[in-house]
Amino acid sequence: MPTEPAGGEPAPAVELTGITKRFPGVVANSDVNITVRPGTVHALVGENGAGKSTLMKILYGMQQPDEGVIAVHGAPVVFASPADAIGAGIGMVHQHFMLADNLTVLENVVLGSEPGSAVALDFAAARRRIRDISDSYGLNVDPDRLVDELGVGERQRVEILKVLYRGARTLILDEPTAVLVPQEVDELFGNLRELKAEGLTILFISHKLDEVLSVADDITVIRRGTTVASVSPKEVTARKLAELMVGTALPVPELRESTVTDRPVLTVTGLTVTGADGRRVLDDVSFTIHAGEVLGIAGVEGNGQAELVEALMGIRAPAAGRIALGGRDITRLPTRRRREAGMGYIPEDRHRQGVVLESTLWENRVLGHQTRKPSSRGPLIDIRAAKADTERIVRDYDVRTPNIDVHASALSGGNQQKLIVGREMSADPVLLIASHPTRGVDVGAQAAIWDHIRRARAEHLAVLLISADLDELIGMSDSLSVILRGRLVADHDPATVTPEQLGSAMTGAEGED
Amino acid sequence: MTAGLSVRAGSTPPARGKRKLPALAWVGAIAAVLLVLSAVRVFAGATDLTSSGTVQAALTAAVPLAMAALAGMWAERAGVINIGLEGMMVLGTFGAGFAGYQWGPWAGVVFGLLLGAIGGLLHAVATVTFGVDHIISGVAINLLAPGLALFLSKLYFSDAPGGGQKQSPRIDDAQKITIPGLSDVLGAVEDKRWFFVSDVAGMLRGLVTQVSLLTVLAALLIAGSVWLLWHTPFGLRLRSCGEAPVAAESLGVNVYKYKYLAVTASGAFAGLGGAFLAVSSGQFRDGQTSGRGFIGLAAMIFGNWRPGGLAAGASLFGYTDAMALRGSAAVHALLLLLGIALVVVAVLQLRSGHHVLSSVAGFLGVLFGFWYFSSDAVPAELVGAAPYVVTLLVLGLASQRLRPPKFIGAPYLRGQGK
Repeated sequence: MPTEPAGGEPAPAVELTGITKRFPGVVANSDVNITVRPGTVHALVGENGAGKSTLMKILYGMQQPDEGVIAVHGAPVVFASPADAIGAGIGMVHQHFMLADNLTVLENVVLGSEPGSAVALDFAAARRRIRDISDSYGLNVDPDRLVDELGVGERQRVEILKVLYRGARTLILDEPTAVLVPQEVDELFGNLRELKAEGLTILFISHKLDEVLSVADDITVIRRGTTVASVSPKEVTARKLAELMVGTALPVPELRESTVTDRPVLTVTGLTVTGADGRRVLDDVSFTIHAGEVLGIAGVEGNGQAELVEALMGIRAPAAGRIALGGRDITRLPTRRRREAGMGYIPEDRHRQGVVLESTLWENRVLGHQTRKPSSRGPLIDIRAAKADTERIVRDYDVRTPNIDVHASALSGGNQQKLIVGREMSADPVLLIASHPTRGVDVGAQAAIWDHIRRARAEHLAVLLISADLDELIGMSDSLSVILRGRLVADHDPATVTPEQLGSAMTGAEGED
Repeated sequence: MTAGLSVRAGSTPPARGKRKLPALAWVGAIAAVLLVLSAVRVFAGATDLTSSGTVQAALTAAVPLAMAALAGMWAERAGVINIGLEGMMVLGTFGAGFAGYQWGPWAGVVFGLLLGAIGGLLHAVATVTFGVDHIISGVAINLLAPGLALFLSKLYFSDAPGGGQKQSPRIDDAQKITIPGLSDVLGAVEDKRWFFVSDVAGMLRGLVTQVSLLTVLAALLIAGSVWLLWHTPFGLRLRSCGEAPVAAESLGVNVYKYKYLAVTASGAFAGLGGAFLAVSSGQFRDGQTSGRGFIGLAAMIFGNWRPGGLAAGASLFGYTDAMALRGSAAVHALLLLLGIALVVVAVLQLRSGHHVLSSVAGFLGVLFGFWYFSSDAVPAELVGAAPYVVTLLVLGLASQRLRPPKFIGAPYLRGQGK
């Protein structure tokens, strides 16, 4: 039994003592101690792969600890499944939303604990309850919309509402800001403060230190699976926190001197893409990227970025327009020929497009390069050379892996991403399309990826950078365009623009009329 | 707060195409279809196009298809592809034959349902518990079921009075109902051969005359499925298993249980479809289903995985089936109808910017029109193929805005959520 704090202080909402979790070959958590005071926002910070997620899965009953005690409001508990955790008033908002797109908000929220009888779901009662919760916490959620139609911020609020609907008093938010634009982040923090004011407790997982400092009441730092410090945001700076997290200073996205040349590499003219329903998802987009230039595209997700990238890569056929790579018209070339012509591609979703999780690292290295040296020799895959080159990537790009014969799924997200970057930088590309290259990766990997992009840029690589991280966009771009509803609506100078200005341009709050 | 509001406005993808047509548009569309039908009927002199007899035959043909489609929908809404519908229907036909000749049509229906459910259960065990690829398991059932049915038929029907190695003794048909006054009045109007009015009367008469109780039961089952799947907690959970099983599991839904229930129910519906087929044709015969399970799947896809849509799809295929039964002249008139329909599709697709699809449809439409005007009859060999050709065309051209359940066909293992 953990000792109760002395005096009249209430028992901690959640207390983890000596939690240890081992996986075959790895210790994910060792001797973790966290005390969360009720009615506070408690941040858990640490690099990806530091063991935050495992810890939260343990707290939410998705995994069981090998050692240690979980106590909720002073009473020790054992969670065999998420249902037990929900029963104890703990709810989780997953980083990857657990929502069914083809169901309405209402259906998503009530699923599993539906009001009404077995033969008739009481839609009216559910609607009322959802509106009540939505109003009292300022979540602004319409129960009758299809989740498919919602933006990222709204989906997140639906997730929060889902947990509240189940009566949770302690909310775990796993990297909630990873997918949001600054205004949405502010809004989310507003929601969190309201939740806190209502007496709810929030466990907030993040590696974005500024955000943590602005919203948290207490901060626990976790490094290599164990808690290394518990600090108050008043006594600590972002720099100090970063040092606690990684032992080094926080990397900054910045470009040094300009390397932009006047040799155009990618010239896009009048590119138009129509969706399945005939609507223009990309409308008359034109731009040029020169050798040694990074063009950043800012925009709220779903405004045509994915379509732009797919059209450039030859995954989606454009309805009109012309794409030229180094003066050569590649509009009609298939994806493989484009890649052979020197296009590298860091996809937005590494699990769907970047790696085959159930294949080994070296097999993943071959993918996309299956017709080129050193991966292949004639019609055959050159396994020896491919493996040797994978070793090179693992070494040069600091991919942390036991060996190159493990499945990609064994790697953490940041390491998978470094492998992808390494692969795409192989074979000397002339153009790199980087879609959210540092999404969901830790500070160390982020710095490494930025560094690789900077180095390649100095060697006259042209880069198209799409990111939701505005600091990254501003810091890493030589020029910036804003995409809104499939059109490039504004150009900004990254040297002068602020994230706030960019944010409002992205939402069409300025310059639309 | 203004910034927040504009974020929401900006992050919302622009509204997609109209989700629902207003009621008036539906009435207009149906009236337009009827008008074209009447016009073709008058022009081609093919009374069968809109006669009450055709509608009756179409209804009889549509019911097994609708049941197969409904079966497919139940399984696929829970995320399991059920290509084994055909095999489960075969089991249903045998069950109906076995029980039907001994204890009457309704016992046949119950037995068909049970045998189908066993087929469904088998599919569920393979796909849900053992993670077998859904297609492979379905094909296995399609291979297994006819063999089993034939074996059992030899075993039980060879020595039965009126039975044979490949067919059961006769089964009495289920009761049929007619709405007395209405049917006669509509009949009188139909006989006048007035443009449009008689056609509508004929079609309505087909719907109220000599309707088998099995058809009524099928309609009730479709309506019941709407209620069960879209208005009860059970249905919501079942559908969530096909859309986002990981999310469902995280909310305490027992995904395996719902998949089992859905696939078993799917088998039961398919068996029911087979039973309807056997009962309405008076006996079990080997090979009786002749691909109806697959056409049912096609009807389900055409219906966008929705009960109303699949009923429409089944009616369409049932109608062409009925035309094929009516013979060469009717199918010949059908050519013209198809030509017109394809041209309409071409125009609609052109308007939404799908040029390739539009040209293909237009080309085929003109081809069918040309075929109609340059010939007097359709070769007998092709008459029987009409329903399949229509199935192909409809699926090829209408599958633009379909929205299958998101997690369909994917293997699901408990605890795979991250």
